Amino acid sequence: MSAPAAGSAPQQLIEDEELGKAFDGRLLRRLWHWVAPYRRRALLSISLVAPAFALEVLGPKVLGAGADFWSGTPLAGWLAPPAGLDPIWWLGGLFVVISLGNLLLDYVQAILLAVTGQAAMRDMRRDVFAHIQKLHMGFFDGYPVGRLVTRATGDIEHVSEAFTAGLVLLVTDVLRMLGFAVVLFHTDAHLAGWTFLVIPPLAFAAFVFRWRVRGAFRRSRVLIARLNATLQESVSGMKVIQLFSREARNQREFEKLNAEHRDSWVDSIRYDSALFTVVELAAGVVFSIVIWKATGYGSAGVIVQFVRYMQRFFMPLRDLSAKYSVMQSAMASLERIFVLLDTQPAVRDAVAPASTPLGSDDSASLSASLAVEPAAARVARPAAGLGEVEFRDVWFAYRGEEWVLRGLSFRVAAGERAAFVGATGAGKTTVIKLLARLYEIQKGAILLDGVDIRMIPQHELRRRVAMVLQDVFLFSGTIADNLALGRADLTLPVLQRAAAAVEADRFIARLPRGYETELRERGANLSAGQRQLLSFARALAHGADVLVLDEATSSIDTETEATLQRGIHKLMEGKTALVIAHRLSTIEDVDRIYALHHGKLAESGTHAQLLAQGGLYARLYRLQYGGEAAPGAAAG
Amino acid sequence: MSAAALPEPRSREQIAQERRQMFRRLAYYMRRSGRLYALGVATTLVYALLYVAFPYAMGRTTDAVIAYARLAVADAPAHTSAARGIAWMCAGLIGLALARGAVRYFSRVEIFNAAREIEYRIRNDLFAHLQRLPQSFYLKWRTGDLMSRCVNDLTAVRLMLGPGLLNLAQTPVLMAVAVGAMLYQNATLTGLMLLPYPLFLLIARGFGRRMHGANLAVQEGLADLSSHLQETFSGIAVVKAYAMEETSRRRFDVLAQQLYDRNVELARVGATMPALTGLLPLSGMAIVFIAGGLQIRAGEMTTGDFLFFMLMNYELGLPLFMLGWMFNLVQRGTASMTRIDEVLATPPSIADREGSAPIETLRGEIELRGLTFAYPGFEARASALRDVSLRIPAGAVVGIVGPVGAGKTALASLVPRLYELPDGMLFIDGVDVNRIPLATLRRAIAMVPQDPFLFSLSLADNVAYGLPETDMARVRDAAERAQLAKDVADLPYGYGTLVGERGVMLSGGQRQRAALARALALEPRILILDDTLSAVDAETEAAIQAGLRRAFEGRTVLVVASRVATVREADLIVVLDDGRIVERGTHEDLLARGGLYTRLAHDQEAEARRREALAEVEAEEAL
Repeated sequence: MSAPAAGSAPQQLIEDEELGKAFDGRLLRRLWHWVAPYRRRALLSISLVAPAFALEVLGPKVLGAGADFWSGTPLAGWLAPPAGLDPIWWLGGLFVVISLGNLLLDYVQAILLAVTGQAAMRDMRRDVFAHIQKLHMGFFDGYPVGRLVTRATGDIEHVSEAFTAGLVLLVTDVLRMLGFAVVLFHTDAHLAGWTFLVIPPLAFAAFVFRWRVRGAFRRSRVLIARLNATLQESVSGMKVIQLFSREARNQREFEKLNAEHRDSWVDSIRYDSALFTVVELAAGVVFSIVIWKATGYGSAGVIVQFVRYMQRFFMPLRDLSAKYSVMQSAMASLERIFVLLDTQPAVRDAVAPASTPLGSDDSASLSASLAVEPAAARVARPAAGLGEVEFRDVWFAYRGEEWVLRGLSFRVAAGERAAFVGATGAGKTTVIKLLARLYEIQKGAILLDGVDIRMIPQHELRRRVAMVLQDVFLFSGTIADNLALGRADLTLPVLQRAAAAVEADRFIARLPRGYETELRERGANLSAGQRQLLSFARALAHGADVLVLDEATSSIDTETEATLQRGIHKLMEGKTALVIAHRLSTIEDVDRIYALHHGKLAESGTHAQLLAQGGLYARLYRLQYGGEAAPGAAAG
Repeated sequence: MSAAALPEPRSREQIAQERRQMFRRLAYYMRRSGRLYALGVATTLVYALLYVAFPYAMGRTTDAVIAYARLAVADAPAHTSAARGIAWMCAGLIGLALARGAVRYFSRVEIFNAAREIEYRIRNDLFAHLQRLPQSFYLKWRTGDLMSRCVNDLTAVRLMLGPGLLNLAQTPVLMAVAVGAMLYQNATLTGLMLLPYPLFLLIARGFGRRMHGANLAVQEGLADLSSHLQETFSGIAVVKAYAMEETSRRRFDVLAQQLYDRNVELARVGATMPALTGLLPLSGMAIVFIAGGLQIRAGEMTTGDFLFFMLMNYELGLPLFMLGWMFNLVQRGTASMTRIDEVLATPPSIADREGSAPIETLRGEIELRGLTFAYPGFEARASALRDVSLRIPAGAVVGIVGPVGAGKTALASLVPRLYELPDGMLFIDGVDVNRIPLATLRRAIAMVPQDPFLFSLSLADNVAYGLPETDMARVRDAAERAQLAKDVADLPYGYGTLVGERGVMLSGGQRQRAALARALALEPRILILDDTLSAVDAETEAAIQAGLRRAFEGRTVLVVASRVATVREADLIVVLDDGRIVERGTHEDLLARGGLYTRLAHDQEAEARRREALAEVEAEEAL
């Protein structure tokens, strides 16, 4: 109860949570979807509440009967011992059996509840992850990774807490308190009447203090989040702090915030302690009243029973409002999770996707999809597709009407190598992202071997199109893991051949554990050139028939540069290649050059043709590589 | 995991030494809150007395009530006086309950506040210490590790000093008083009732350990899951391009299942807690009921005593159980304190030395004499700089170029003393840099580091970061010179816009220019630009260069650049390769020589021409 969310990741601390309703029927109904498979267990758990309560009532009854028996009242009914048994041993045995039964029921109920909650949350977590992965690239452009992580971790934890410590207990606690009230009146209406005169104000005071603790606690949490964020930022930017001699001032500011945090706890501690006090006080006062009012007619047994019932009655009161807060944050988390689940992926597989004969290694799924394949798509497909790529009047905008491609059309024959040139923002990178269908185009069509890529299942399309992006992303894991990327059929020898082909094998051999070397912090221990080579090997190993390559612009030393060039050539061999070229040797080597301008095709042809044509490309080329014009001349 | 962060194997003696040092530090902090603790412990004693007095008084009152019921019906005066006695006893009970509550309140508040106070002091000291530690420390320690010590470990220490200490102090006193009173009242029953207690203490301890283990396993499972999430979503383009979704999903399913298993285990262990805590009072109650009942029947005990024992039984179980729990808190707390101590015990190696030269200002002459340097922790690899000698007169502009890994950044970082250097290698104004007061040195130098780190402050506060206060005139002037001013208009709140991690995302070029403005605002004697404009486009760079020429006037400037064009106009250009100076001279000298510089220049100019050509064609087409 006293530890704030200190263990969670800093960015989670920063995201303040808004709290609203503790119960939202709409959200709970939807949550049922994940609970339903485990409903038997859930219902069993809840149904155990009734027998547990009955045993809770019976226990003190036995004790009370004992106290009365000593005062001379005979035992009756089920409390009367069988013939020949000492009543004290009989009652003692009853008490033990009842109490053990009670503990057992509580234990079973708690475990059933936890297992149900955890199982439902595991399923929900999986669904959330699978759903996020399915979302289109555009979604990720606008959603910080840290928040996505929180959806599948922190938010799910909150909901899971609602299972184990919130919803059910909150309801059963209230029912139990009502139950005990009834039992108290039933036992002795006179005493119960007197005690219930005192209970409401005390209960109210306890509730108010708990509520205050909650408020103060939340203030403290906001402050500790700020404190930790400041600390983290300072550690990250320590060089700047020291360079600019800000230490003293930052220390003052930090201490001020730290003091504010410490003082915020003063309230929490005070209210929390006051709550404890009130609960103890209440018990004391109620006991005194019971004894006082029992004077003259109440038996010892009634006093004993009352004392035990009152103890039970006050127990849930201590943390009723804590459970309420659990529910509140669970509802807020559910809301956030559902908003995410309601986000539809903009890129989806067609209902009856076309399958291309090449590139699929799963013959069962192939024949299955062939069976439902629309006739039109089958007709459009050439007999032996090897990677013919066609853009047909493609219009595309990342956002609204800001067109990046405006009616782009071109056709790259199977096995042809095409280079795309043009200024920044001409749409080169967009072309290759669209071919892999990372984004959905707005108008026109993109065809692979004559089939609209929207008709091809995404995973199949992407297995046929190998992408090498400028920013090489490496995952934590070994070099081999990063080459295979989870494909079990890419065995080490296959990977080694691919790495050798692009000459990545030499630097890999120099690493401490070769292909089994763990990449530290996602490849931070590799140079830019080495990362590039790895991405080449990766693409080659995956053996697609279309290669799309965004050449890196970063300047690397001449030796690595030559290695990269050879790698690129190796990569393009026998494939349809679409290259965003930045290097002269690559450009001169391709079969056809497409000069893009403002999202349209300005001209295309071979290097020689385009030079002769004297258009955009010729000018670009002459300016870049021809003549010995002074560096500043072009600007003039 | 970084090899540098792996703990080195330590001898038993070293560990003992560390523990002693840790306890000394802990004692130091606790002494400072000694008064609070003394008060807390004193109130605890009073509390223990009241704690036992209440059930006892209840028992006595109950006996009085029972005696009242047995009075002869006709004896009215006896009835009246007995009823009055009972009323007084009940009033006394309420008084006891009040006093008990009040004392409890104070002891909790005192001790918890003391723990918060100590947490506050340790956090302040940690922050201050971190600010004094050199950059070599940050090369070795990861941010995540440091944060975990400042957040999780500090929490563990606080829990040890707050609830941990409260219960550790309270429980033994409570037990002693309670057992004493019970023994006095009924020794046989007490002995019987306490029979299962020792066993219980053991069970509770073992349980606490299991609970901690299960908790840790869940935390680790969650961390594994988070890093898979983090990685998948950061590299989503690759995930999609290589159709890895299925693989990644399967991996996630495994992790989710693993987390489920651990959570269920935690729930199982957790659910045994109420069962265990319930078992002790249950067995105690059964004993009190049966043994007590037999005694009452034999006339050896009153019903009031039975009530007293019943209440004691229910009240003693919990603190006792908590005691087992507290052992774990203390274990974790001391382990955490050791981890915190490790940070606090790292000496701040870059600090003013005794016998520093009393220098207030610097002119800006820099001299390197046979400077050899390797990054701390990476000494095994080749040195970053080897035998570099160079004299830069005050007011000169010096360019430093060379391929990646040549040692340019190392050179730039040594001048403001970000790393330790032996004496006799680096001099400013003829004084060894180690002997110049750090405040003087850093005030005279402004550096724009390669990674333009901005804080989560307003843009104005970031630019004025090195100034005593945010002087808008100077901020505007610096922003103007760094070509940042034109971008400010586009920001939602202009100079007041929050930037940094929690603010608006600035482009790489904008961040670099903001960092440049931050340095210019200082009006330093020595300005160091460490490849500052790599993410700025050529046109803007040209504009900045023009502005910088004025800013350079009267300052010593070190320009580290990977682009040759950036340093063309420098008074002196130094070409570094593999840690050594391979060429030096002006742009023209070096071009004429046809060495490394010429090659770099050639490659880069081709690239620059291409960019410019594209820009020109673009501009033309736009018309």
